[in-house]
Amino acid sequence: MSDLLSFWATQLPALLRGMRISLQVTGMALAIGIPLGLIAALAVQSPSRLIRLPALAVVEVGRGAPALILLQFAYFGLPSAGIQLSAMMAAIAALSWTTCAYTSEIIRAGLQAVARGQQEAATALGFSRLDELRFVIVPQGMRVAAPALLGFAILMLQATSLCFTIALPELLSQAYQIGTITFRYMDTLMLAALLYAAICIPATVLVAAIERRLDRHTA
Amino acid sequence: MTWQGLELVAWGIPWTLAVTAGAFLLGAALGVPLCAMHVSRSRVLHGLAVALIVALRSIPPIVWLFLLYFGVGSGYLKVGAVQAAVVALGLITAANMAEIYRGALRSIHPGQWDAAQALGLPVRSELVDVIVPQVFRVTLPSAATYIIGLLKDSAIASTIGVAEITYLANFLSRKQFNESLTIFAFAGMLYILISLPLAALARLADGRLRARVAQ
Amino acid sequence: MVRQAGAETIVKVSGLGKFFGAHKVLDGVDFGMGVGEVLAIIGPSGSGKSTLLRCLNQLEPHSEGVIDICGSRIAADAPLSRRDLNELRRRAGMVFQSFNLFPHMSVLRNVSLPQERVLGRKRAEADERSRALLDRVGLGAKADQYPARCSGGQQQRIAIARALALDPKIMLFDEPTSALDPEIGLEVLAVMQELAEGGMTMIVVTHEMHFAETVSDRVLLMAEGKILEEGPSVEVMRNPKTPRAQRFLQAVMNR
Repeated sequence: MSDLLSFWATQLPALLRGMRISLQVTGMALAIGIPLGLIAALAVQSPSRLIRLPALAVVEVGRGAPALILLQFAYFGLPSAGIQLSAMMAAIAALSWTTCAYTSEIIRAGLQAVARGQQEAATALGFSRLDELRFVIVPQGMRVAAPALLGFAILMLQATSLCFTIALPELLSQAYQIGTITFRYMDTLMLAALLYAAICIPATVLVAAIERRLDRHTA
Repeated sequence: MTWQGLELVAWGIPWTLAVTAGAFLLGAALGVPLCAMHVSRSRVLHGLAVALIVALRSIPPIVWLFLLYFGVGSGYLKVGAVQAAVVALGLITAANMAEIYRGALRSIHPGQWDAAQALGLPVRSELVDVIVPQVFRVTLPSAATYIIGLLKDSAIASTIGVAEITYLANFLSRKQFNESLTIFAFAGMLYILISLPLAALARLADGRLRARVAQ
Repeated sequence: MVRQAGAETIVKVSGLGKFFGAHKVLDGVDFGMGVGEVLAIIGPSGSGKSTLLRCLNQLEPHSEGVIDICGSRIAADAPLSRRDLNELRRRAGMVFQSFNLFPHMSVLRNVSLPQERVLGRKRAEADERSRALLDRVGLGAKADQYPARCSGGQQQRIAIARALALDPKIMLFDEPTSALDPEIGLEVLAVMQELAEGGMTMIVVTHEMHFAETVSDRVLLMAEGKILEEGPSVEVMRNPKTPRAQRFLQAVMNR
C-alpha cells in the first residue's frame, strides 16, 4: 500500500501536467464551440436554405461521427489537404466542432423554451429582429440551456482523453507513457482515473445543485 | 483513392456492430440489478449502486478500457481486446441504462402499483405483467438514442487493436498517407450511415408500441 | 365626461378578413375611430376580437382588406417592410393578457430598453422617462426589482408603462385583466381609466362589462368573426338589437 502511494507521489506531477493540458483543451473547445453552437442553433432555424442547410450539415456530421474520427480527421487527415495542425490545434479544432454540434441542439431547445409571449412583446414594441434575439430571446434561452451546457462541459473534459490517439500529452497520454516505462499500467491508470473523477464528480454535484436552484427560481 | 482502399474500411463494420451490440446487451442486463439496488430500501445497496454509477460515469470510457486491457490484462488476467472493449463499454452502459430504467420506473404512475396490488396480483405478475411492459415502452426511445451514442463510443476499441471501422481507417491512412482526409471522411460517413437506420427503427418501434398501448 | 370624438381618424379598417388555415376567424370587418376615442371590443370567446386587435399591429398579418392606422396603410396583398412595421408598432403600443415583461431584466430596464433600442434615447434620458411613468402607474418604488417579485397587477401596470414609454399614438389592450383576480384587475383598470381621461386613444378587448360601459366611448360587439353591433357604449350595452347580442349580454351581465 505504501509502495503504491509513494509510486503515485512520484508520478503525480507528470499526470498533473497532463491534466492541465486536458483542462486547457476543454476550455478552448468550449470557448470556441459554444458561441459557434449558438450561431448554429440560430442558423438551423433560418428560413433561408442557403444558411440552414450548411448549418445542418455541420451539426449532423459533428453529432453523427465519433469525436475520435473528427480528431484523427483533423490531425492525420488535414495534412493530406496541405493543412498541418499541431496536436493541440487539431484537438481544439475537432473538439470545438463536436462542442458546436452538440451545444447547438442544447441551445436550440433552450431558445424554443422561451415563452412565445416574449417574442410577441419584443415584436409589438418594435424591436428589430436582431435586438429581439440579442436582448430578449438569447439571454433567456441561454439561461434555460445553462445546466445542460455545464453537463456537456463535463463530458467534454472526459472526451479530451481521446486526444491520446493524436499524441497530445494530456492526462491519459501521460499515464500511458508512464505505464510503458514502468510497466505499472494498473497503478498509473488508476491514478489517472482518480484525477478524472476528482474533477468530474464535484462538477456533477455542482451542476445538479445549480439545476435545482434554477428550477426553484423559475417555478 | 481506389475503391478497394475504402472497402477495407467498410470491413470494420461487423466489428463495430459486434462491440456495440455486445456492450449494449451486457449493459442492458447488468443495468437491471444496478437499478434494483439503486431503488432498494437497503441503504448499503443503494449507496453501492450510487457509487458504482457515479464512478462509471465520471471516468472517461477510454480510461476504463485501458484499465481493463492494460491494467487488469497485464499480470492479473488474460484479457482479449474485443472482450475488454465489450466489458468496459458494457459496464458504462450498465450505469447509464440503470439510470434510464430508474427514470422509467419513476414515470409510471403510482396508481399502477396500487391497482396491481388492489387486484391482488402476485408480486411476480405485478412486475412482469404490469410494470415491466410499461418500463420497456418508456425506456425504448432513450435506449435507442443511447445505442447510437454507444456506436460512436465503440470507436475507442480501435486504440487497443480491435479491427473495427476506426482502426482500419487508421491503418489505411498510415499506408496511404496522401488519402487520409478521404479515408477519415469515409469512416465518419459510415458511422452516420449506420446510425440512420437505427434512429428510424427506434422511431418506428416507438410509434408501434405507442399505438398498441393507445388501443 | 365629454370628448371630442372622431375629430381626426386614426384607425380605419375596411373589409378585414383573416384565415387560420381554412378557418375564417375574421370576416368583412369594417370600423373606424378618431383620435382620443376609447373603443371597447367585447364578445364571446373565439369571436375574433383578439385576432382583430393583433391584426392592427400586424402581430397577425391579415388575409383580406385594408387597415389604415397611424398614417400607415396595410393592404393584405401589400404587407409593410420590417422597417415600416417597426415604425407602426412604435406608434401603436400593445398590452398583453399575460403581461410579457422580460423576466431577466429589472423593472426599470424593461421600460428603458425599448426606448433606447427603438427610439434611440440615451440611457439617462430613458431612465428618467421610465421612472416618471412608473411613478404615474404607482410603481416608482419597484423600479429596481425584477418582475417576478411583482404581483400580476403590478406587472400589468409596468407593461402599460413600458408601452407608454415609446410615446404611442394609440394603445391596444388585449384582455389586460383576464389573467388577474377581479380585485387585482381593478388597479389595472384604474390606470387605464386615468389614461383614457388623459386623452389617450385606446382600443380595449375586454370581458369587463362595467369598464366597457362606463369608460369607453363606443363598443364593438363581435361574434363569429363579424361585428354584430357597434355604437355608443351605453346604447350597445343596454339596448342590443340583434338576438345574438342580447343573448351574450344577458349571459355576462347576470353573472
